[in-house]
Amino acid sequence: MQQLKANLIEHIKTSFKDAREKDYPNENRLDFYVNKQCIPSILTYAKDRLGYIHLSHIAIVDWLEDGEIELIYIIWSPEEKIKMFVRTRVERENSVMPNIDMIWRQANTYEREFREMYGIQFQGLEGEQDFLLEDWDGPPPMRRDFDTEAYADDTFFHRPGREDAQDVREAITKRSGEEIPDFAKKYSR
Amino acid sequence: MINDKNSQKIVDIIQNWARKQSIWVLAYGTGCGAIEIPPTMTSRYDAERLGVRGAATPRQADVLLITGYLTTKTLKRVIRVYEQMQDPKYVIGFGSCTINGGMYYDSYNTIKVLDKYLPVDVYINGCMPRPESVLAGFGKLQELIGNGEANGATKYKENLEWYRANQKKIIPNWVMPEYNW
Ligand code: SF4
Repeated sequence: MQQLKANLIEHIKTSFKDAREKDYPNENRLDFYVNKQCIPSILTYAKDRLGYIHLSHIAIVDWLEDGEIELIYIIWSPEEKIKMFVRTRVERENSVMPNIDMIWRQANTYEREFREMYGIQFQGLEGEQDFLLEDWDGPPPMRRDFDTEAYADDTFFHRPGREDAQDVREAITKRSGEEIPDFAKKYSR
Repeated sequence: MINDKNSQKIVDIIQNWARKQSIWVLAYGTGCGAIEIPPTMTSRYDAERLGVRGAATPRQADVLLITGYLTTKTLKRVIRVYEQMQDPKYVIGFGSCTINGGMYYDSYNTIKVLDKYLPVDVYINGCMPRPESVLAGFGKLQELIGNGEANGATKYKENLEWYRANQKKIIPNWVMPEYNW
């Protein structure tokens, strides 16, 4: 396994000069940071030459503090039984990513979701603009600087809470005369 | 005289009694609470012995059972389903999500108070309500129907503008058919 992994790293490093390896102790996992322009070529290379035929997942992380969004393409080789994480970062403002749905058709679904939820544009991505949200005109809702509670407050009706703010547990003990155990008291108001 | 007040009352009593004996339910199960419907309907709790059973289409149903949260997207469908149902029709809001938003109180995409958009006759609280409370809710609905108090549909008809204004507030692209009951 170690040998195999070293080989794969070697392969990728020679073909993609700017690939930076991220060290990860798990022995069936490879991890790379690459430039966002390299994404289609590294994924095609992995799929055609290295046997990474399966796209497991595309994950996304919003690094608000760095002003960047990270996309992680997780691919899997059923023969070598090694996962490969291909990471890239894209700026938060006017983010544009290369589209990979011609490599794996199912990436289309992920990309449409990212476009809607994170406001990332994919070059030449086809498909309806609306995916999960309909009639949405706010900012992309899954970005960390989107304040969901404030948005919900002025979009929807809220039912005001009970005025007596009664503690249910106390009300029940009062009614049935049962003792609240000590450990449970700290949860009571 | 068929039109005098007292005979109308008698007709109403008979009508209400008949209506409460057979409640056909259209379950709109997009919320997680819908998982309590199968045990309610099947042999363990057997709601059919109370006259409660599933209906296949909105036009055959008497009760619209809304199990849990509605997003703005599903609310559209629910309004359409509700407006297709024939009188007499009732709405049961099921789970805390329909009452006050439940655990989705701060979600950007779910409505919090169902009765601003549709006339709810009975609320069943709990997250999620057990089949016992579902049956209790149906019992309450039957009681209301029997007393002629479950008049959500009339309320909807009479205050249609108010409901429409609320609905259009969160559904800006209104492309629904207008029904003229
Ligand atoms: S009330 Fe609870 S169980 Fe029902 S839909 Fe909401 S979160 Fe789910």
